Order: sequence, then structure tokens, then C-alpha cells
Amino acid sequence: MNLLNILSEIGKADADTPERYDFSRRKLLKTTAAAAVITPAFVAATINKAFGADKTVTDILNFALTLEYLEAEFYKMALSMPNLIPAGDRDLFTYIAKHEKEHVEFLKMTLGPDAIGMPQFDFTAGGKYPTAFSSYDTFLVLSQSFEDLGVRAYKGQAPFLKPYKEILLAALKIHSVEARHAGEVRLIRGLRVWASEQETGGAPAAVYMGENNFLTGIPVDVIQLASSKYIQQNGGALHEKLPRESFDEPLTKEQVLAIAMPFIKAVNP
Amino acid sequence: MKKSGPTIPGIPSVERRMFLRQMGLFSAATAGFLASCTNDQSLSPAGGRHSSARIGPTVDPVTGVVDLGSGDIGISNLAYMLDQLETSFYRTAVDRIMGASATDRKVLEELHDHEVVHREFFKAFLGPNAIPMLDFDFSPINFNERNAVFDAARQFENVGVGAFNGTGPLIQSDEVLKVAGSMVSVEARHATLASHMLGPRKPFAIAHELIDPMGLDWHLTPEQVVEKAQKFIKQKISVANLPKL
Repeated sequence: MNLLNILSEIGKADADTPERYDFSRRKLLKTTAAAAVITPAFVAATINKAFGADKTVTDILNFALTLEYLEAEFYKMALSMPNLIPAGDRDLFTYIAKHEKEHVEFLKMTLGPDAIGMPQFDFTAGGKYPTAFSSYDTFLVLSQSFEDLGVRAYKGQAPFLKPYKEILLAALKIHSVEARHAGEVRLIRGLRVWASEQETGGAPAAVYMGENNFLTGIPVDVIQLASSKYIQQNGGALHEKLPRESFDEPLTKEQVLAIAMPFIKAVNP
Repeated sequence: MKKSGPTIPGIPSVERRMFLRQMGLFSAATAGFLASCTNDQSLSPAGGRHSSARIGPTVDPVTGVVDLGSGDIGISNLAYMLDQLETSFYRTAVDRIMGASATDRKVLEELHDHEVVHREFFKAFLGPNAIPMLDFDFSPINFNERNAVFDAARQFENVGVGAFNGTGPLIQSDEVLKVAGSMVSVEARHATLASHMLGPRKPFAIAHELIDPMGLDWHLTPEQVVEKAQKFIKQKISVANLPKL
């Protein structure tokens, strides 16, 4: 099973059906007339109208939707387990679950008829995490993995969304929510809030691969920055940590899907 | 406290100019650039569709108003301004906070140091188009109360998140967008850390109050960013030339 191929096949099939444009236009007109307030449906329809027939964008949004399905389903199942999440952390994960579900709804509305269906998941990843929903520690490892992966996934796609300001804005606004989630889960686990290759916390190493780099064409020596005289803390360790922690790095769609694939049992177009 | 000496041994100027030119942000003649009102399209692969002139930052000699400039320069200066603000705030917090635990101090020091990296990044990146070091006034913040300090930290970091989110779609250069993307999630991590120091393991830590019913984080326009930051900055800041959403 190759999710990438399936996603792109779906995109191709839909590109031939003119109905979808009518759908989004109708939807837009209807919502505009119906309500002066900005409803989620209105925003989604506006964005849908903006990217219209661009298959690149449809593919990216379906890629994002796949990850959001994964997270939303993961938290939904976890919250349904009576003894998994301790009472003191339940509120937090209820909100995290809520955000992920909202991301799913938002992307589905934005994609309209182009939205893929929810895949079937296996959160044990074929037996690699047999205690995904019976051990809180395992649950937290997976939560951290999915959130930090989400951060890197959105970051990787942002440059491709540049021609469509509304979509880029929405993607950035999901991106930072994922980073907030990742940060708190890391702190709960007693890890540093910053991501680096050195501290996977038991997550698949691929989630943090290349996280130490500074992947841009901008010629500023970040290593030098961290040895600046302005730095307060002493010690070589921090001087190494600082540059790699101060910038989060993207992953490509292929890298992200390779990590997510073991958790996806079957795709439902 | 500062004096903007050559803190970044950095890149030889010729090499730097080449890179900057490649990015389409700056004309090769940096000195003449600010005065120039025309944008040489041949130097500006990223700005092909936008023929309007790009303006560097200015400081009005009479009023002292600091104008951040236009285009990607202006957006980068807005981020640089916030990173200056945050760094200076954490520096002050480490010096003046009362009733802080060892962990509190370590967190403030680490936040400070990570923000220094961001600030120095923008300073080096902007080069001659960087605004000057600004002066700050943190008198609205009660440093005698540990919680007030982390609450201020939380708010500054959240403004950072909102600023990057709101200006991201206005960025013209792919490289600048990538850098902004690699920093905004770190700001979100910082906001989480500061909130965690006040309300760990709670929806508060993930700023649920800023997240809308679609699960989308907040974003701020440059005007809104300045509105929130101005009371801590002694110089008057103008974002009149920044692009609009």
C-alpha cells in the first residue's frame, strides 16, 4: 500500500469532475448569504474557492488531513479508555483531542468533495507499541511522536502553499497549535520543550532526524550565534544545544508518510 | 547593556552580499539601497510579481519614530523587534525576579539564551537593514511576583506566535518563509514552557483560549503586534510600510 500513490490517484480522479467547483461556489454563496458571522464553513469554503483546481494544494491538504485523522482518532480512543489517562491530565488531553478533531473538520470542509476518508489505524504499529492504550507512558511517547511529527509536516509544506495566502495562513495556524501540543507533552514527560535529535524520548528516531540542522539558504552561522557573549548560561553543552533547539526543521511529505505508514492499516478513499 | 559591536564574526561581506543578492532581498549596493526607490528586478527573483520599491528601515531624526521598512525587510524587522524585546525582558527578569526557584531561574535563563539566538540571527541576516537596538521599559511588569513574570513571558511569546503566523503569508522570499516557519514553532514551545510554569498539565498550557473553534491558533497583523508591544518600547514603532494581508 502506498498512501502517496493513493492520494495522488484520488486527486487525479477528482480533477476531471467539474461538479466540485460548482459545489464550492454554491457552498460559498449559500454561506455568504446565510450568515454575516464568520463560520468555520464560510472560512473553509472561502479557502476552497481560493485554491480551486490546484491539485498540488489538494494533495497537501489531504496529506494534512491524513495526519489529523491519525491524531484525532488516537486521542479519541485514548480518552475512551477508562484507566489510561490520569485524572489530572484528562482536561489537557480532552482539549488536545478537541483541537485535532477541529483540524479534521476544518480540512474536510476546506477540501469539500476532494477530502479523503479516514484511514483505518493500528496504533500498535504492527505490534511495535502493544501498550499504546494500556500504558500511559507508551501513550505519551506516541502522543509526542505524532505532535512533533505534525509540526515538521506542516512546516515542510508551508512553502508550497505560498501562492495561496488564506491556505498558508490556516496551515501556519494549525502548525503552531501542534507545536503547543508537542511542547506540553514533552514537558509532562520531563523532556526539554525543544526538539532535537539528541532527545527522542523513545519516539521513532526518524521523527527527529535532521532536527539539528538549520536547513535554509540564509548564510548566517547559527553555531556562532550560540557562542555569542550575550548568552547567559555557561557550559559547552548548552552552546551545542542552543542552535539546534532554537530552530525547528521541516520534513518532506515522503519522510512524514514513511513514519506514519506503520500506523495506517488501510486507506479509505 | 549592548552597543552593537561585531557580535557575529559572521560572513565576509562579499560572500554575504552574494547570498543576499541571490535571495532577492537586497540590492548589492547596500548603502545606496535604502535611498533607492526602484527595485532592480534582475536582482530580485523572489519579487518578480511585485514591482513596488522596497524600503529599508528608517529612524526619523526629529520624532525618533522607528519605521521597520517594507516587504520582507519590514517583516523581519518586526520579528527582530520582538526578539529584542523578549531577550531584554528575560535579561531583566533574571536580574530582578523575586521568589523564584532554581528551576524558575533556569527556565528564564534558557528562554533568554534561545531568544538571543533568534535576535542575533535576525541582526546578522538583516545586516545594514536591521533596525537599531531599541530601548525598553518593563515598568508595567511586577518582577517581585514570580507569577507575574511568567505571565508576561507567556504573553510575549504568544505575541511572537501571532506575529509569525500573521506575517507568514505576506513573506515573498521562500527562504525567509522557511526561517519564519522554523522559528514560529519554537516561539510556540516557549509560550508553552512559560504557561507550563504557571499551570502545568492544563489546557492553559496549550493556550486553548487563543485557539478558535476550528482549532486554529491566533494570528496578529503587524499593527496589532505593535499595539501590544509598544508600551514596553521607548521608541515609537511604525509598521506603515509593511505589507497587508
